[in-house]
Amino acid sequence: MTQKHDKHLILDNCIKCSICVANCPVVKVTDKYAGPKQNGPDLERFRLDEPRAVHPSIEYCSNCKTCDVVCPSGVNVSAMNCKAKGEYVALHGAPIRDQVLGRVELICKAAQIAPALVNWAANVKPFRAIGEATFGVAADMPFPRFASRTFLQQYKPKKINNPKGKVLYYPGCYVNYYTPQVGLALAEVFAHNGIEMVVDSFNCCGLPTVSNGLTEVAKGYARNNVAKLNSYIEKGYKIITTCPSCNLTLRQEYHELFDMDTVRINNETYDAFEYLLMLHEAGKLDTRLKALPQRFGYHQPCHLRSVGFGIPSLEILRLIPQLEVHNLEAGCCGLSGSYGFKKEKYPISQEIGQNVVQAIQEAGVTQNITECGMCQLQINHLSGLPIHHPIQLLAEAYGLPSYLPK
Amino acid sequence: MMNKKTDVLVIGAGLSGMMAAARAAQSGKKVTLLTKGMGTLSLTSGCIDLWGYEVDNPKQPCGSPFAQIQKVVEQNPSHPYAKVYDVLKESLTFFQGICDKDGLTYRDNGGENWLLPTAVGTLRPTYLAPTSMAVKDLNKVKQIVVAGFDELKDFYPEVLVTNLKKSKLLRPDCELTVAHLKSGWKKLYATSLAHRLEQPEGQREVIRQLKPLIKPGAIVLFPPALGERRDIDVAGLISKGLGCPVYEVTNLPPALPGQRLQDLFLKYLKNQGVTVILSSTVTGAQVAGNRCSHVTAEGAGKTFTISAQTYILATGSFVGGGFDSKPGQIEETIFGLPINTGDGKWASGEFLSLKGHPFNRFGIDVNDRLQPVDGQSKVILENVLVTGANLAGSEFSIEKCGNGVALASGFKAGKLAGEVSR
Ligand SMILES: Cc1cc2nc3c(=O)[nH]c(=O)nc-3n(C[C@H](O)[C@H](O)[C@H](O)COP(=O)(O)OP(=O)(O)OC[C@H]3O[C@@H](n4cnc5c(N)ncnc54)[C@H](O)[C@@H]3O)c2cc1C
Ligand code: SF4
Ligand code: SF4
Repeated sequence: MTQKHDKHLILDNCIKCSICVANCPVVKVTDKYAGPKQNGPDLERFRLDEPRAVHPSIEYCSNCKTCDVVCPSGVNVSAMNCKAKGEYVALHGAPIRDQVLGRVELICKAAQIAPALVNWAANVKPFRAIGEATFGVAADMPFPRFASRTFLQQYKPKKINNPKGKVLYYPGCYVNYYTPQVGLALAEVFAHNGIEMVVDSFNCCGLPTVSNGLTEVAKGYARNNVAKLNSYIEKGYKIITTCPSCNLTLRQEYHELFDMDTVRINNETYDAFEYLLMLHEAGKLDTRLKALPQRFGYHQPCHLRSVGFGIPSLEILRLIPQLEVHNLEAGCCGLSGSYGFKKEKYPISQEIGQNVVQAIQEAGVTQNITECGMCQLQINHLSGLPIHHPIQLLAEAYGLPSYLPK
Repeated sequence: MMNKKTDVLVIGAGLSGMMAAARAAQSGKKVTLLTKGMGTLSLTSGCIDLWGYEVDNPKQPCGSPFAQIQKVVEQNPSHPYAKVYDVLKESLTFFQGICDKDGLTYRDNGGENWLLPTAVGTLRPTYLAPTSMAVKDLNKVKQIVVAGFDELKDFYPEVLVTNLKKSKLLRPDCELTVAHLKSGWKKLYATSLAHRLEQPEGQREVIRQLKPLIKPGAIVLFPPALGERRDIDVAGLISKGLGCPVYEVTNLPPALPGQRLQDLFLKYLKNQGVTVILSSTVTGAQVAGNRCSHVTAEGAGKTFTISAQTYILATGSFVGGGFDSKPGQIEETIFGLPINTGDGKWASGEFLSLKGHPFNRFGIDVNDRLQPVDGQSKVILENVLVTGANLAGSEFSIEKCGNGVALASGFKAGKLAGEVSR
């Protein structure tokens, strides 16, 4: 397996070609960021001896991981950046805003007292103006809306006789609190295909926490999650995610950032469509799908791209007759989790997202799909068009409840 | 472990891999392109070199590259061109067709090489150049304005002008003018400059600063950063605003022209139904007899296998990451194919030797079906085809044939893979 990176070795692999700089979406639109090469391998060399050698512009890295994907030499630039951000925050502290935005889990839990009230308050203009002036939370970026009941509150496991497989679903904060319909549609698809699906309560994967430099908090989440996931794996469960960022974090980031041993988790964790594709290759997927004569634009989330497994959802959706899915191929949407909610980064995030807007116009689509909740939020904000998770289309084509708006 | 099936697996997303995928897809094959990272295209000028200098007089830029390549093929049957000469012209037409359809026209100079100004003011022979670089009739130009940006590192208009002045190609009365433009940013990278120039304000700013310097019969040379997106013709828009032709010079990595070509091809392939898997590295192969049965690929964590009828090895030798050198030993990392290292010497004594460096010639020996062969010309793996910089026997930096060899060999491999029956 891959978990044998020697940090010094990877660092020495950098041939200074600047391909990462040429592809970094943030560098392209602002002069406030020194760039992946300088913040990554250039300064990492010094950081090996002097952990404090961090460029203050590090906070402008959005952790989109484009640099890792394009580097021809396998340098894990973004992990160097994440660690450096952690060092920087440990040394200089993080603004209250980042401490709050990074703790998605806490915000979500708190909001459960009265989701409707929070939704209302979150979109009242004067409140948002105060939020921007006082805390630096961009007033123009809409917050996602809390669902009235979480996924975990709504999901009722179905009894499946002679299951073809058993899985533990890790919904992640976004699906659990904002888009439970994604988890519910997944449950329908799995049950239909004879897969037993269980759930449990977990911590946030920790990615938003890492992105805000709150490394210690994230490490705590990681420890809890790893222990619990392993206990399920021991009982023969595969771990399923629908959020590409959770997927990447469980599989790779815990190892890269905290040196945890996640070989087993890595092997047993699947994106929902990756799992379905595996069933399909084994001839176990029901392919009796009804025609969906519609067109959708598809946006590939950065973190799905960086897992290095292609786009399994597109391979499965191809089985649906008459469905036309146009891959937008527009790169990063710009939001990068909490990044685009920050006042000073909102313009950067919107500027990066123009590529997606442009691709949508070029393709002439009026509805889109993407796996990541945050990408959904940004693309809807940028384009005003409806956007869903691809699993909902699959559920629809099976004639199951898809929770798509009618 | 999950196994994916495909007809043709192309390993590597450099020019040769992308050409191979494009050509194989045209034959109706199910094609998967899997790559660790982006290829060297974005380090190159973005121009397609075929052959730069006279074979018999290496200091003299050649006119028609085809005449020279014919000589090479006759004199040196182990040169990669000898294996792909049959498809050379066909592959260029195929390439130009793909680019043309997307509006990124690659121009030839009527069968002769272009001589295009570089960032340091020398003239570089090349065969195909995008419209934004293809400077026409340099010998008739009355004024050359070189536009630099104070905030952009690595591009020094004075150096360009000083060296270009020495060229005998220019009219003796050609006036060379340096323009230092201000962008208002603290610092610029090629991509951020390109992004600014895509915005109307960015173009207006540049036009406003340049306009007073332009005289009749002038052209303007820019660093290779006139936009990244292919739907905005930055060179055309600035040219219209100034009323004179504007061009990008060559040779300044990372340059946008190579990047545009890379983006164009990846998008083209996906539209052709090619499955593209980024950020995944092929780490090993299962071989039975003289056939490969599957390879193992590792993503950011996930490992899976892929089986195919044909495997195209487009991993780009040392720079691309396909070869690895350990003390006393060089290896091809996936199939362990033998690397022909000539007499085993790595470098010539002189760094800028006109003969180039032996290590650039290191590579895999193939037959004229691009199958890897051993010292006795016996095929090692019959369903593996080798392309581009992986091929033994060419010295791209001296011969100026890198993208030409990549393009023709990729095309041929794709074509051969397309002929394999199911
Ligand atoms: C700095 C520089 C400038 C140049 N300028 C020019 C120029 O102006 N004009 C010109 O004609 N030629 C130029 N060349 C030469 C030319 O770029 C190359 O010869 C040619 O592009 C090589 O293409 P390729 O497809 O063979 O390999 P590459 O472009 O090197 O691509 C190799 C690909 O393989 C991938 N890869 C490697 N190992 C693995 C693995 N194990 N698993 C999966 N993927 C893998 C890499 O990530 C990469 O995508 C230049 C070369 C360099 C280095
Ligand atoms: S990190 Fe990778 S892409 Fe960036 S300069 Fe180094 S080798 Fe090139
Ligand atoms: S993670 Fe994204 S924003 Fe950060 S350096 Fe890499 S490419 Fe740039």
